[in-house]
Amino acid sequence: VAEPGLRLVPAHEPPDVDHLVGRVAVGDAHAFELLYDELSSAVFGLARRVVRDPARAEDVTQEVFLEVWRKAARFDRALGRARTWVMTIAHRRAVDAVRRSESQRRQEEHQVTVSEVGRDEPVDTVLEAEERGAVRQCLDTLTELQLESVRLAYFNGYTYTEVAALLEKPLPTIKTRMRDGLIRLRDCLEGDR
Amino acid sequence: MSSDRHTLSGAYAVDALSAEEAEEFERHLEHCPACRDEVRELQQAAAQLGASEAAAPPPALRARVLAAADRLPQLPPRVTPLAVVRTRRWLPRALGAVAAVVVLVAGVAFGIHRTQQPDDHAVSGRNSRVFHAGDAETATLRTPRGTVSVATSRDLGQMAVDTRRLRTLPGHRVYQLWTVHAGTATSAGIVPPRADGKVMALPTAGTTVAITVEPAGGSVAPTGRPIVQVDPDTV
Repeated sequence: VAEPGLRLVPAHEPPDVDHLVGRVAVGDAHAFELLYDELSSAVFGLARRVVRDPARAEDVTQEVFLEVWRKAARFDRALGRARTWVMTIAHRRAVDAVRRSESQRRQEEHQVTVSEVGRDEPVDTVLEAEERGAVRQCLDTLTELQLESVRLAYFNGYTYTEVAALLEKPLPTIKTRMRDGLIRLRDCLEGDR
Repeated sequence: MSSDRHTLSGAYAVDALSAEEAEEFERHLEHCPACRDEVRELQQAAAQLGASEAAAPPPALRARVLAAADRLPQLPPRVTPLAVVRTRRWLPRALGAVAAVVVLVAGVAFGIHRTQQPDDHAVSGRNSRVFHAGDAETATLRTPRGTVSVATSRDLGQMAVDTRRLRTLPGHRVYQLWTVHAGTATSAGIVPPRADGKVMALPTAGTTVAITVEPAGGSVAPTGRPIVQVDPDTV
């Protein structure tokens, strides 16, 4: 839609998260605000998806950002992007919250069958939520078992042992499907960039 | 690296390991750069998956988080890479107390052979000045990767480490020297490929020198256990 010779540019550049974390590391409170504005939706959305309860997702989100504030000076760029670092913390905190307080419920869910799980949390619901086109398209490239394995672990907080029990598959199969599913996702997302 | 462990990278990246398994896998990662690369990439893919669920939090949360951060002290940068090593087994517990010059990892004591002169292996190049100083003290240390000769000279205020008889490393790995004081390791630089070794300032009392194997270019903190650790005072 741009005129020939004109280039569409974003109204404002999205902040560079690596740079922001570097400034947070030296106690820059303003950088921390910008970081919150940039990542709070991603963190809260993931937390809510995993812990289900919005109030608890808020607590998890707060824990995540406080951990980022505390540990910013220890973030090592050699280990990956700051955005990934924050999301990794977010996922770990969310999963910890689920495992801590829902162990009772989880034990009961061990008993449910795959079809019941499918009904409770159909793949379509996940995919419908994938309004980020790239991720959605890339998830479509996974086999059903890869997708189920990654999804149950990542969004439901199950261990691979639990996923194997739920899907009634051998442990090594599930381990491998999680890995090659993520590899396929990675390769697809990389190709997309 | 067992292939079985290697395949845990996916489960690890989505936090699907038990706490014990995750810890064990992290120990494995310390010694497996290829696994670290893979985990980093898979975590990035997982993070993108997570971000696809984005939903704005209630606006009130922002002020709560900012206020809480304002009251929370920040951690300093990590200058205690021993935490990365995750074990203090290799700390020089016995150093100073015992005449032993070398504390080797995993509790294995290796033989040591002291000399007042450089031994039969002629020392040349950058290391020679320290090795041939009038007050030079030298020691030859056996490590799992070959032997290291060390010389200290108080007159010169230097310590030299001759690494030529350490096993040659593949191109993507280097030997790196560290000074270790009070549990904190500080890089004393890498031994450049094809170099004879390294000369460094003589560490102060209570500081030991450790050698680790690191990715090319060196690390900011040791990523593996030292192959050898020396207390210059006992050389």
